[in-house]
Amino acid sequence: MTRMAVLTLLAVLPAGGAAQRGDWPMPAKDYAATRYSDLSEITGANAGRLRPVWSFSTGVLGGHEGQPLVVEHTMYVVTPYPNVLYAFDLTREGYPLKWKYRPAVDPNATGIACCDAINRGAFYAEGKIVYNLLDGHTVAVAAATGQELWKTRIADLSQGETTPVAPLVVKHRVIVGASGGEFGIHGWLKGLDLETGRIVWTAYNVGPDSEVLAKPRIFKPFYDRGAELGLTSWPADVWKNGGAPVWGWMSYDPDLDLLYYGTGNPAPYNPEQRAGDNKWTASVLARRPEDGTLVWAYQFTPHDGWDYDAASEMILADLVVGGRPRKVLVHFDKNGFAYTMDRATGEVLVAQPFVDVNWAKRVDVATGRPVVDSTKLTGASRGNVKHVCPTLEGGKSPASPAAYSPRTGLFYLATNNMCMDYQATRATRIAGTPFIGANTPYHAGRGGYLGAFIAWDAGVGKKVWQTTEPFPVWSGAVVTAGDVVFYGTLDGWFKAADARTGKVLWRFKVGSGVVGNPITFTGADGRQYVAVYAGIGGDWFLLSGDVRSDDPADVRPPADFMPDIARHTSQGGIVWIFAL
Amino acid sequence: MDLRPLILALVVSAACGGHDAAPAMGHEARVFAGGVIPPAGGPQVSGNPFRGDRQSAAEGERTFGVMNCDGCHGGGAVGWVGPSLRDGRWRYGGSDGEIFQSIYYGQPHGMPAYGGLLPPGAIWKLVTYLQSLEPPANVPTQSWK
Ligand code: HEC
Repeated sequence: MTRMAVLTLLAVLPAGGAAQRGDWPMPAKDYAATRYSDLSEITGANAGRLRPVWSFSTGVLGGHEGQPLVVEHTMYVVTPYPNVLYAFDLTREGYPLKWKYRPAVDPNATGIACCDAINRGAFYAEGKIVYNLLDGHTVAVAAATGQELWKTRIADLSQGETTPVAPLVVKHRVIVGASGGEFGIHGWLKGLDLETGRIVWTAYNVGPDSEVLAKPRIFKPFYDRGAELGLTSWPADVWKNGGAPVWGWMSYDPDLDLLYYGTGNPAPYNPEQRAGDNKWTASVLARRPEDGTLVWAYQFTPHDGWDYDAASEMILADLVVGGRPRKVLVHFDKNGFAYTMDRATGEVLVAQPFVDVNWAKRVDVATGRPVVDSTKLTGASRGNVKHVCPTLEGGKSPASPAAYSPRTGLFYLATNNMCMDYQATRATRIAGTPFIGANTPYHAGRGGYLGAFIAWDAGVGKKVWQTTEPFPVWSGAVVTAGDVVFYGTLDGWFKAADARTGKVLWRFKVGSGVVGNPITFTGADGRQYVAVYAGIGGDWFLLSGDVRSDDPADVRPPADFMPDIARHTSQGGIVWIFAL
Repeated sequence: MDLRPLILALVVSAACGGHDAAPAMGHEARVFAGGVIPPAGGPQVSGNPFRGDRQSAAEGERTFGVMNCDGCHGGGAVGWVGPSLRDGRWRYGGSDGEIFQSIYYGQPHGMPAYGGLLPPGAIWKLVTYLQSLEPPANVPTQSWK
């Protein structure tokens, strides 16, 4: 084999090498971020017989986002702050712990993290479990023993940077980013060396080309022309606190050698303080993982005035679009549009609303720009702009990643059916405090229900089926070769549905609202298992008001737009495993 | 008095130096709002000089917005990422001096210290504002039909 061929092969294999077919070695199962499993023991015919086989309390109350990993019959679970890492031995009765790792994490991070002290999970690579601590550190822990191998400070808490994002490991690079779009950070992506934890490169998402790592002739955005776009689309110096955090999911195409990720909102929320497009906030960026070089970028929401982070996953699929097979990237933006894009170039092929949208009339695929409804433009001088759809929780939250089945050709996702009023005010940046400047109360969208789980055809941009839910739906999805799709609800149901029709086949009340992402794996006995976290939180820690019962000194009123959520759930922290 | 120019002037002068940079944070350390460490020694803390004064409470409410307190504690201090400050319940004590201390020195789970940015008088007006808030109706019993 040539050296080149070996490299390509290495790139295609899961970074773990040892990971097997029924394993779940990285956040989205694979580099294409499909959350699809080819396990097929559980089917539409037998899913009704699913039952819980095991549960474990993580000892932490709070938003259990993210998902466990399963590698070689060991399950790895990262908790929200204080970011304990558990390793369960799936070969033994009762799945006892092999080890647990308890890092020292600065408690200040819990107040600086905008939206609950959550963590989005770990990545398995070359015998290491790699993940981020909330307080701005990345750690690598030996998968066999739980020994800490290295710990690197990647972010600056005093500037409002926190690190709940799950890393992606590719080509011996650990790719990480930071949250802080609500704190006026200067958003970035970093590449660390997997062996040592050394920071090899830092690429900013806004600012001069030299910091954005946009090099002449290499950086070719499909729609934009000119140099220094990350500077010229901002007022002088404003970009330095312009946000563009990285808090969602990353994916990687080994053939194109491109790493994809979305950036969050520009800061502050009051758009009048930052005239211009504010590139590359609310955008997808495609970089070389080795050195961070920017290859293309596309901005979903130029001059965002609605907090429409583009942090949702970029799912890589091969679809027929307009009669032609295309290598695409599919992205469900907070802004309510689903984008099907050419992942080599950044050209938008399809952009259609997947929920009710009124801030823009449509996306012009010729220019790549949304056609904005001027009555929905926000800003301190515009007062209270009423009824903007969707809300800043997103038509879909980036916290709840979609799944794609190559068998059905459909995408499966949790959506929110809510609208907001948006009253912007002038904000002052004070390091270590929020830099927001908006009050944005929510109300139910058309139909009165607050969420739905839907199936989407990204080749044409159409909803295929939907199941409405009384509350916003905030869990990720997993879809299997048994054509079963799993998701959880905010009021604490975990559900299995028929991937072709949406019919709910089975459900179980897991004890707390689900904001995590289900996975499926093969157990030591060769059978198929499904795992999910229960533990309401994330934005719902802020927004659900009275779901909190752990602090006698913090008693909150019910949320006005869903006053009875606390009737159905309270905070929790449970890992569940189900099987037939 | 409109606190805004005063506060902004303070923020700007802080940003221009005059104070040492914030040290690396350890576990019992605080985040310092604006990176400004409260002066050593601290002020004399006794009773709130503005207790019950409506004008001071209104100024405190404005400062609550200008200083981004609302971004963490929610509008009206109903609770957000930081705890509710209007439920009549306190983690660190609800006496005049205890609330003052929480704001001046910060608290370990992410409450920034504001003593380096705000003069004691402005902090007392924040205390006055917080003391003026009515607890929500549903504390402590909630019932559903
Ligand atoms: C970065 C987020 C953040 C900002 C900004 C912030 N707070 Fe806090 N605050 C917190 C958190 C988190 C706590 C809980 C700290 C703890 O338990 O250690 C807290 C605690 C407090 C407490 C103590 C509450 C109790 O129950 O004893 C008071 C009083 C308070 N904050 C007032 C303020 C005021 C006034 C401001 C603005 C001048 C402010 N906070 C700004 C996050 C913040």
